[in-house]
Amino acid sequence: MNEVQGKLIGEQYVIKLSGHIDSGNASAVEKAVLELIGQEPGRAIHIDADQLDYISSAGLRVILHLRKTHPELVISNVKPDVYEIFEMTGFTQMMTIEKAYRVVSVEGCEEIGRGANGTIYRIDQDNVVKVYNNADALSEIQHEREVARTALVLGIPTAISYDVVRVGESYGSVFELLNAKSFSKLLETEPDKMDWCVREYVELLKRIHGTVVPEGELPDMKETVLKWAEFMKDHLPEKAGEKLLSMVKAVPYDDHMIHGDYHTKNVELVGDEVLLIDMDTLAVGHPVFELASMYNAFIGFSEMDHEIIKQFQGFDFETSKLFWNKVLALYLGTDDENTIRQVEDKARIVGYTRLIRRLIRRHGMETEEGRSQIEFWKSELLELLDRTDSLIFAKNELQLEATKENLQTVMDFVEINLEEACCPAKTQMQILMAVEEIFVNIANYAYAPGTGMAVVRVEVKRDPGVAMITFMDQGVPYDPLKKPDPDVALPAEEREIGGLGIFLVKKTMDEMTYEYKDAQNVLKIRKDF
Amino acid sequence: MEILTTKKDDVLTVSLTGRLDTTTSPQLDEELKKSLDGIRELTMDLEGLEYISSAGLRILLSTQKTMNQQGTMKLINVSSMVMDVFEVTGFSDILTIE
Repeated sequence: MNEVQGKLIGEQYVIKLSGHIDSGNASAVEKAVLELIGQEPGRAIHIDADQLDYISSAGLRVILHLRKTHPELVISNVKPDVYEIFEMTGFTQMMTIEKAYRVVSVEGCEEIGRGANGTIYRIDQDNVVKVYNNADALSEIQHEREVARTALVLGIPTAISYDVVRVGESYGSVFELLNAKSFSKLLETEPDKMDWCVREYVELLKRIHGTVVPEGELPDMKETVLKWAEFMKDHLPEKAGEKLLSMVKAVPYDDHMIHGDYHTKNVELVGDEVLLIDMDTLAVGHPVFELASMYNAFIGFSEMDHEIIKQFQGFDFETSKLFWNKVLALYLGTDDENTIRQVEDKARIVGYTRLIRRLIRRHGMETEEGRSQIEFWKSELLELLDRTDSLIFAKNELQLEATKENLQTVMDFVEINLEEACCPAKTQMQILMAVEEIFVNIANYAYAPGTGMAVVRVEVKRDPGVAMITFMDQGVPYDPLKKPDPDVALPAEEREIGGLGIFLVKKTMDEMTYEYKDAQNVLKIRKDF
Repeated sequence: MEILTTKKDDVLTVSLTGRLDTTTSPQLDEELKKSLDGIRELTMDLEGLEYISSAGLRILLSTQKTMNQQGTMKLINVSSMVMDVFEVTGFSDILTIE
C-alpha cells in the first residue's frame, strides 16, 4: 500500500507514512507496518512523517499499538498541522515527536567558513547557515548552541543560532550575521589590512584566553589531547611515545577558555565588530592547545602541499605563514625570534600529534600519499620531542587590579618567566624584590584611595641574559625616579621607616626608566644576568 | 613564612624561614609586638630567610629602634642575598650582624 514504505537506514528501520491516515485505512496501515517490521525483528523503528498530511484517532491508535512493542519509537519530520494533532492529544508528552525542519538550499551560496564538523554558507544578506558534516547532527547542534550561549554570557562576542533547518540530507543551524566578512576574505582581498587583522585577531584571542570558565561548563581540552598522545604511543618509538604522553600529562589544568579551531575563517568582521563563530570546539585548557590548532590551520595542514591553504582559506601559503608569525609575536608580546620559535615548537608537538592521528584514522596508511605525509609529520615530531622538554610556556603579560592581594600573582608570574630563561637564583631574588617594591607602590598610591588596573609585562632573553619588566598604570602621574634617595649613612635613630623600596630597586637593577605616555605611567626596569 | 620564637627570661631568639615581604611582614610585626616587652637581648636567626624586601627592612629598623631603648639586638646566619640588601641600604652599618 502506498501510505507505508520501509527502509533500513543504518541500524534503524525507518517507516515512511504518507497522505491521510484515518478510520478508512488505519487497519490496513497497521497491517502493512507490522508486515514490514516483521521482516526486521529486533530493530529500533523510526517513523518519518515527512509526507504525512493528516492523522485521525484511528491512526493514533496504530501508533499506540506500535509503541507497545517498540517503546523507543520516534516520529520525526512532522508537518505543523499534524504536529498540532499530536500535541492536542498529548502524544508529544508521551513520546519523542520532532517537528519538520524548514528546508534550506545552499546551492550557489558563498562558503564563508569551515570548521571541524561543518561548513558555513551565506544564504542571504542577513543570514548564514552552518551545515553539519554528520547526517545525524541534532545533538551536535544542541551542544554548539549551549557552548555559544556559555561564551556569550562570559563576554565573548559570538552569534547564536535561532533556527535548525534541513539542508539536503544534513541538518543546519541558522545564524543572523549581517554583512559579515571573514578575516580570511579580508586577508585575501585586502592585503594592506594585514597588520590591522593581526591586531584584532590577537586581541580577541587574548580575550578568549583571559576568560575564566566556571568548572564543568566546557570540556577540558587536556583530556582530548591525552587521548591523542595515548594513540601515538603505538606509532612512535617507545621512548618518544612516553615522553610525549608525560609532557601532555604535565600541562597543568587551566580554567581559561580556548576556542579550539581559531583560524581566520572563524573570525568575522560584522560592521566594525569582530565576532567569533563556529563554537563547537570550545573548551578550557592551556593556550598551547589553542596554538597547536592554529599552527595546523595556518601551516601544518599545508606544509607539504602549499596549495591546500589556498583552497581552504583563499590566501596563499606565504601570506598564511606571515600572518601566523605576526600573530604569534604579538600574542607572546615579544620580538625575540628564539622565544617565538620555542613556543611554536611546543604548539607543533601537539599539532603534529593531532594531524598524524587524524590521518591514520582516516586510513592514511593505506595510500602512498598518506604514508609519505604521515612519515613527514612523524619525523618532524620526533625531532621536536628530542629538543623540547615541556609544553608549557609563560604568557608574558599580566593585566590585573593593582592591589596588595594580587602581589603574589604578579610575583609568581614574573618568577615563571625568569625560571624558564634559567635566570640565576640570586638575580631572580633581586628582580622579584624590585617587582614587589614597584607593584606595592602602584597598589598603594596610583589610584588611592580607590583601585585600578595595572599591566605587568616581562621580557626575558638568554645568552646574554636580560630581563626587562614593564609596569603600566593609569593612575596619577608619578615619577619615582625624582624622589630623593634616603641617606643611608644615618644612624638607626635618625633613619626614617620607609622610603627604601624605590632606592633598593635603583641600586639593584641595571636600568630604571620612567615615562608618562598616553595617560599612563610606564616604568621599566632592566637587569642583566 | 615561619616564625619560631624561643624565650628564656629576658633573652629572645626569633628564627625566620621563608620570605619576609609585603605579604608576610605584618605577621612578624605582630609577633614581635607581642614578645618584645621586657626583652634585653634579641637574636634574629635568619638562616632560613631566603628573601627580604623593604617591607621586611622596615620591621627590622623599627625593632632595632625599640631594642636601642631596652637592650641589644643582633642578626645571625645572614644569607648573601639578604646581606646584599643590607649593604645597599646601609643597614649593615646600623644593625649588628654576626
